[in-house]
Amino acid sequence: MSKRIMIIDDEKIVGDMAKISLEEEGYEVETFLNAEPALKRLRETQFDVVVTDLKMKGIDGLEVLRTVKKLYPDTKVIMITAFADLDVAIDAIKGDVFDFFPKPVRIKELKESISKAVAGTE
Amino acid sequence: MKIERKIILSNAVYLVLILIIGGFAIQSLNSVSDRQRFLEIADDLNTSFLTMRLSEKNYFLFNDNAALRDIQNSISQTSDALDSVQGDIVPVIGDRSYQDLRSGLNDYSAAVNQAAVNNARDQQTADSIREKGRKLEATSNEITRLERTRVSEIITRSKWLLFLSFFAVLVAALIASRSFSRKILGPIKQIERLARSISAGNFKKIETPMPKDEFGQVINAINSMSEELEQREEELIQSKKLASIGVLVAGVAHELNNPVNNISMIAQTYDDMYEKLSVEQRIEFMRRIDQESERIKQIVNSLLDFARPKEPKLREIDINSLILKSLVLVQNTLNVSSIETRLDLAENLPPLFVDENQIQQVFVNLFLNAAQAMAIEGRLFVSSRLTEKEDVVEIAIRDTGKGIPPEYLPHVFDPFFSTKEEGGTGLGLSVSYSIIKNHDGHVRVESRPGIGTTFTIQLPVTQTRKETNEQTDHDH
Repeated sequence: MSKRIMIIDDEKIVGDMAKISLEEEGYEVETFLNAEPALKRLRETQFDVVVTDLKMKGIDGLEVLRTVKKLYPDTKVIMITAFADLDVAIDAIKGDVFDFFPKPVRIKELKESISKAVAGTE
Repeated sequence: MKIERKIILSNAVYLVLILIIGGFAIQSLNSVSDRQRFLEIADDLNTSFLTMRLSEKNYFLFNDNAALRDIQNSISQTSDALDSVQGDIVPVIGDRSYQDLRSGLNDYSAAVNQAAVNNARDQQTADSIREKGRKLEATSNEITRLERTRVSEIITRSKWLLFLSFFAVLVAALIASRSFSRKILGPIKQIERLARSISAGNFKKIETPMPKDEFGQVINAINSMSEELEQREEELIQSKKLASIGVLVAGVAHELNNPVNNISMIAQTYDDMYEKLSVEQRIEFMRRIDQESERIKQIVNSLLDFARPKEPKLREIDINSLILKSLVLVQNTLNVSSIETRLDLAENLPPLFVDENQIQQVFVNLFLNAAQAMAIEGRLFVSSRLTEKEDVVEIAIRDTGKGIPPEYLPHVFDPFFSTKEEGGTGLGLSVSYSIIKNHDGHVRVESRPGIGTTFTIQLPVTQTRKETNEQTDHDH
């Protein structure tokens, strides 16, 4: 069964590009532009990895992280943000985030990180 | 001089004046009472003289020899009396009058004594005695009369003197208290004015020569406080500027990072997946890169607008027409969200001298802002009016949107501050703000979460605007 990846970012291109590359690797990818529908979807079904933007209007990445960890402690969360802000990164790490990427994101590094995260779930 | 010393001095002056008046009054009273004492003595003397003249009559008309002894007794009693009161009356009537009285009495006594030697009743003796007696009586009466006149003069004079000195004290007190209160109230008024202007934010100083009293110290203290406040305010403004530059830089970083990341991710995907991408996908990728570049360009442009607000090119315009024109530009957006527009534009507004394009940009910004604050089926109220003073036109733009939380309100005009769910550079409001500021206007925001937000723009009505504008154009 292919691993399921959820991507949440209010920039549509992030989801689109990540989806193309990750589907190529054989992952099943769903993308969301904001957190509300993403969390709704998460309540219906589990994902192996959630990649989320940190700074979003409404529900932000840290809240996504908390909700995911509450629903599925095994699901790995990878954080990306346009703010390369150390304080937020530390907060994110404390909140049990699997990995942290400042924008601009290297897709290759993201793929490697996801593959590590997925390996951990097996 | 210290105020304390001023008070002591002015009190001392009053005290001296009062003492002088008191001295005059006492002196006048003493003089009157001395003379009164003389008048009492003179009454006694006159009575004695009268008795003597009566006895004279008894002696000559009724041949009463005992009468001469009575006169002699009276003379010796009067003489004793004159001796005993000499000390009292000499200072009052003067030594000469006293001696006149004395010698008159002596002459009379000598004449009486001479008659007594041989009980003479001849015409010559009688004439001599009568003559001396009359003279004595006349002298006494004259002195008494003079003294009565003097007493009444003294009383009148002291009445006037008391009245005048009372008047003098009154005038002195009025003048002194006026200059005194001017010296005290003047600086207090100055200080009050200064305090009021400081609280209004004008850090003025009192430049007039410093009084050398407590007020001088107070004014000095307030002046240095004003100076200190001014410096603090400048520091505050500086630190606020620095803070907003911080916000600006962080905002630019964030705003630019997103499109840069998008371009980067498209490029990486294009590179990695080139073989597997369809031609359409490749073209689509390039188109999206172009769009993201456009986004960067817009951010940079609005940043430049913000950094170097263009000098407004002022022209006379009808603000209501400009409102309507701006509404047309956003009508499509309003229609899409089913937003109903309600206008309440005052008629006969004076023309305003503004940069049409810039003010239109402000209106469009605020209309779009309102539209974005209302999800669907909101209402947009736009009103214009002339203020009571007729020096400002006020344009209010109200929406029935979700409102701005109170904690965000102070920041809505900060660059890159945005509460919008998506899109928006966060510069619209801050650019609008600086445009209005450049027009010497004001813009303020009121908002109640869940009820709506009102932006109020105030633009000054200035007749001389055109001239100053031509002036600046000339300078360019």
